[in-house]
Amino acid sequence: MQSIKCLLLEPVGCLAEFPSAPFHEIAVRLFGRKGKASPSGSRSYWHLLNLMGEGSSSPFLKDLEIEAVNAASAYEDIVPALTELKSMGVHLSIASSLSDAAIARFVEKNSLGGFFAGVWNRENADGIKAVPLVRALRGASLQPENVMFLTDTVEGIKVARSAGVQPVLMMNDPDEARRLATYNPAGGVVSLHEIPDFIRLIAAQNKNGQRAQSR
Amino acid sequence: MKKVSIYKPSTVDEAIQILSQHGTSAAVYAGGTDLLIRLKNRLEQAPTYLVDIKKIDHLRYIKEDAQGGVEIGAATKLAELADSKLLQEKYPMLVEAVNKISSPELRNASTLGGDLLQEVWCQYLRGGYSCWRNGGYLCYGAIGDNSYYHSAMGGRLCYAVYPGDAATALIPFDARAKLATPQGVKELSIEQLVPGDLMVDGRIQSHVVRFNEILTSVVIPPPKPGLRASFEKLRPRGVWDFAMASLAISLQLRDKTIDDARVVFGGIAGRPLRETTVETFLKGKTLSSELGEQAISVALASAAPLKYNATKIDMAKGLLASGLARLNA
Repeated sequence: MQSIKCLLLEPVGCLAEFPSAPFHEIAVRLFGRKGKASPSGSRSYWHLLNLMGEGSSSPFLKDLEIEAVNAASAYEDIVPALTELKSMGVHLSIASSLSDAAIARFVEKNSLGGFFAGVWNRENADGIKAVPLVRALRGASLQPENVMFLTDTVEGIKVARSAGVQPVLMMNDPDEARRLATYNPAGGVVSLHEIPDFIRLIAAQNKNGQRAQSR
Repeated sequence: MKKVSIYKPSTVDEAIQILSQHGTSAAVYAGGTDLLIRLKNRLEQAPTYLVDIKKIDHLRYIKEDAQGGVEIGAATKLAELADSKLLQEKYPMLVEAVNKISSPELRNASTLGGDLLQEVWCQYLRGGYSCWRNGGYLCYGAIGDNSYYHSAMGGRLCYAVYPGDAATALIPFDARAKLATPQGVKELSIEQLVPGDLMVDGRIQSHVVRFNEILTSVVIPPPKPGLRASFEKLRPRGVWDFAMASLAISLQLRDKTIDDARVVFGGIAGRPLRETTVETFLKGKTLSSELGEQAISVALASAAPLKYNATKIDMAKGLLASGLARLNA
């Protein structure tokens, strides 16, 4: 793997545990989705994005997304992990398909404003799924192979691949992670606090490889 | 089996020179009970160059030092430790622990150094999965079957447990390891030698020994009067298996009063886990039949079991109770 210079983060499932109900309700009201909500907020969210296609706007869409943000519980290790990553010089950006208002509320609620060099959402990126990732790459002038995207869904892995960045699994649920591992992610972590070591390991391996070649 | 080239140096300095020349593609070869299996399984991290240290003098011995302690050469066979009258007389708990390592056949080949620095025995690594220790970037133990060989105390990238029993048993005696390095001799406590998953030379490994360093000996200070120690081990099969949980415990006693304690759990974390909370709890207490239950109540409060291995914590606590009961008997 190439050395990692940037981490793209989708708050849903990677920085916080989101409730499923608000995303499911949007899918029901806007797209007539039938059936029960998934127990996983991430799966409901990515399913909704699939239904949204190129995007959708509705007043209650934004309201329900903010409801989801307000009910989300941030993972306890995000501040120490982001602090460490920032001190390592890793470029941190949010690349999300949530609305501008929902992302702003998430960042404000969890006091994460100082960490991100870029914040891309479906409005300022003008699109969903891979579009915010691509805009984040362009905004930071980064090569996609030097970028990781954290995800805990199959759709997230596919979106990362389509943007050319390295999909890394957040293995929140072991059974689901075992299933997702078959989709060939570039790696996987149990917790965000492992990402700094992940990046250091890749850097050390690349350094060793270069040393071996020059010998 | 992966093809390898073998060097047979006659001195430690020569061995270090060869290791330095080949970087991480070389490794020390002594008993081979771990290394040869990694080669046979063609693991990504298995070396291409073996530096056979069996012909080097002064690496295979058990001798009493001037202070009344014992120094053991790193290439000493585990069977030699198990048969040593000197060790039996001074550190019977260590001999008990060594006798519970794998099988008699393997103890005839395995060395003390190899046991201390062995690779983890996670079934995913040994089965060739592309995990953190085998060229990949994911721990399959964290998401798969983790009931036997994975940590119940959290982890960092790799969640396999440190499998060695000798380190667990040596820590209560405050033993120290000597390493030969290009810069000279380095001395570490056993806890410092095997601190658990860490990055060394761009690899994830359980110990701190760099690619161009060699563990040469272990020094155990003289046993203090009044020291009682016990080693307990639970494993899936009665012989030939790694600990699901183990415990090495020593108590410094004055009559029945505990002046000092060492409590080290094996098989439940990425390193031999010294449980200082229990040690502090035990100090000043009277050794009694009730003490085990009380000690359990403060033990392993920071446990973080994976999906299938919470039972390891119960086992470890059970061993603590039985260890204290044995020492009270």
